[in-house]
Amino acid sequence: MSYILEAKDLRKEYPGKLALRGLNLQLAAGEVFCLLGQNGAGKSTTINLFLGFIAPTAGAAYIGGLEVAANALKTKQYLAYIPENVLLYPHLTGLENLALFSSLAGFRYRESELRAYLAQAGLPAEAVARRVGSYSKGMRQKVGIAIAVAKHAQVLLLDEPTSGLDPKAANEFSALLRQLSGQGTAVFMATHDIFRAKEVGTRVGIMRAGALVDVRPTAALNAQELEQLYLTHMHD
Amino acid sequence: MRTFSVLFYYEWRHFRAARGLVLLTGLLLLVGGYGIYYGTTEIGRQRRHLAELPALARRHAAELQAKFPGPADAGEIGYYHHTFAVHRPTPWAGLALGQRDVHPYYLQLRLLGLQGQLYATENVNPTKALSGNFDLAFVLVYLLPLYVIALCFNLLSEEREQGILPLLLAQPVRAGQLVAAKLAFRGALVLGLALGLSAAGLAWARVPLDGRVALWLALVGLYGGFWLGVGLLVAAWQRSSSFNAVVLLGAWLLLLVLVPGLLNVYVAAARPVPQGLALTVQQREAIHGGWDRPKSETMARFYAAYPQWRDTAAIRERFAWRWYYAFQYLGDQSAAPLAGAYAGGLRQRHALGAGLGWLSPAVALQTSLHALAGTDLPAHLAFQHSATRYHDALRAFYYPFLFRQVPFTHADYARLPRHTFTSPTDTGGARAGLWQLLLGVGAVGAAGGLALRRPIRPR
Repeated sequence: MSYILEAKDLRKEYPGKLALRGLNLQLAAGEVFCLLGQNGAGKSTTINLFLGFIAPTAGAAYIGGLEVAANALKTKQYLAYIPENVLLYPHLTGLENLALFSSLAGFRYRESELRAYLAQAGLPAEAVARRVGSYSKGMRQKVGIAIAVAKHAQVLLLDEPTSGLDPKAANEFSALLRQLSGQGTAVFMATHDIFRAKEVGTRVGIMRAGALVDVRPTAALNAQELEQLYLTHMHD
Repeated sequence: MRTFSVLFYYEWRHFRAARGLVLLTGLLLLVGGYGIYYGTTEIGRQRRHLAELPALARRHAAELQAKFPGPADAGEIGYYHHTFAVHRPTPWAGLALGQRDVHPYYLQLRLLGLQGQLYATENVNPTKALSGNFDLAFVLVYLLPLYVIALCFNLLSEEREQGILPLLLAQPVRAGQLVAAKLAFRGALVLGLALGLSAAGLAWARVPLDGRVALWLALVGLYGGFWLGVGLLVAAWQRSSSFNAVVLLGAWLLLLVLVPGLLNVYVAAARPVPQGLALTVQQREAIHGGWDRPKSETMARFYAAYPQWRDTAAIRERFAWRWYYAFQYLGDQSAAPLAGAYAGGLRQRHALGAGLGWLSPAVALQTSLHALAGTDLPAHLAFQHSATRYHDALRAFYYPFLFRQVPFTHADYARLPRHTFTSPTDTGGARAGLWQLLLGVGAVGAAGGLALRRPIRPR
């Protein structure tokens, strides 16, 4: 079976700190993998390695079967990234930001298509032509989602995407993730939100001190059991 | 290429949105325009003054003709008659005034000893001289780098500090492309502005379209390129915007204030020049001593230099103009070694300073622009040399009247030698500056390129 996202013995060391200890992980198309862990557990390091922002000390990260370190530009065509706080050019409108990032990804859309993507991401029509500087965090997050959707990414890398969102916005975000995974997009989401992980994830992994210590299908656990499992690992 | 053009276009959008930068661009255009106006107005004023000199000379001759209605002693005429040595500016001078404000652009000469007259000029307000001229060269040398600093201090750090860089670098965009587009946009803006202002100035000053135009534009372009290179180098360190701003302003201070100041001190110490005052005192003492020296001794020394007048009538009178002008001449001769050392020392200082232009591109550019405009120290020394030759011609004109004791008639006024001198443009000096700037651009470009080989941190 071919995986759209894969880590093979992926390891990252900083001077005086081992951030990731030989991660092995595979994600198939349409899968939503939620990575739980405390701050400093290695979740963001993992995402940065898949993004090619940092080079692994050992092992390799693969996107679409290509090693990220050797094919950074190509693998970025397959993935979209939504950070915890989507920050965009504040003087450009939501529409213009989407046009910019889509153009960089190699897509040229008409305005009506851009508006459709923003609407799909849940951005109110009245906000589309407003400068992003006036947007709330949730609205910026929606533009981030529109950027990811418009890129037709096969892999979505999310770093604490629902952090700071109000419950309604977080729910809408979850619904959109489900929709994207239903269309075959693989989602890798680092999060602290156990409830959200249970809600949207197909598998959940628990990371501690740079090691993936447990991986379970979310269908096998209810929210309470997942929370208990997480706490158990954190207190080991 | 498409990614590059997208990034380039959005750099334009970002620039348009940054009102401070737009304002600064407008301000630079405004001060550039003022610099062109200031310089060309100053040169226009000098030209008007020079244009009035022939009429002044005619009026003065008319006054003398009224004072001496018949044939007169040429000695009297030589004593009272003023004539002018004129230093005409090139059309370029209005763009780079150089030293035309501190050195005289015309000299009022009489048949007396020359050295004192070469330095007898109107006083210049030292405070004004210290503050310099607000011409186009000043705008390009001093203010353009500040504009580049304002454009480049947040070349990459802005996106990092705004948190946009991770999202940008998550797209299939090479970091190098991003930097290249940013730098290209800023380069287009800086060079467009600098070359546009230069073109406007060149057109306004009506300079002839020849190779010097290309040389001026190349010098200005390279200087802009140098500062863009410095901006790139500092951005490549990937530090904060405030850190970059401090470093860039420090570089401005170093290269435009500190290094030129130290160069000045070094050049003055390495090439000592005799005091101008000593030269004047030497000449005055020699001339005044002439009154007390035996006439025979004075004339013997004079005839050694002008043997053609040796056989003219011996001086028996208590006072004779030819004896008077002989000891005036000998006064100049006694100061000649000092005058030569003074001019030579100044030339050496200039050459040494220009040769060290590679230490500061600002020095290289300023020296080159002044050389092109013919407003630098060598141009002034060339004018002094030309004025000296003119004074020699005046002596050659008057001496036959004096030594053959021929009366000076009204018709002879029209036969008096005239003088005009136009600054030479030193394209060789400007080309040397071009190489120095190329060296600077190459050095910062290479250092920036090397520094950019480090991967760009998105956070």
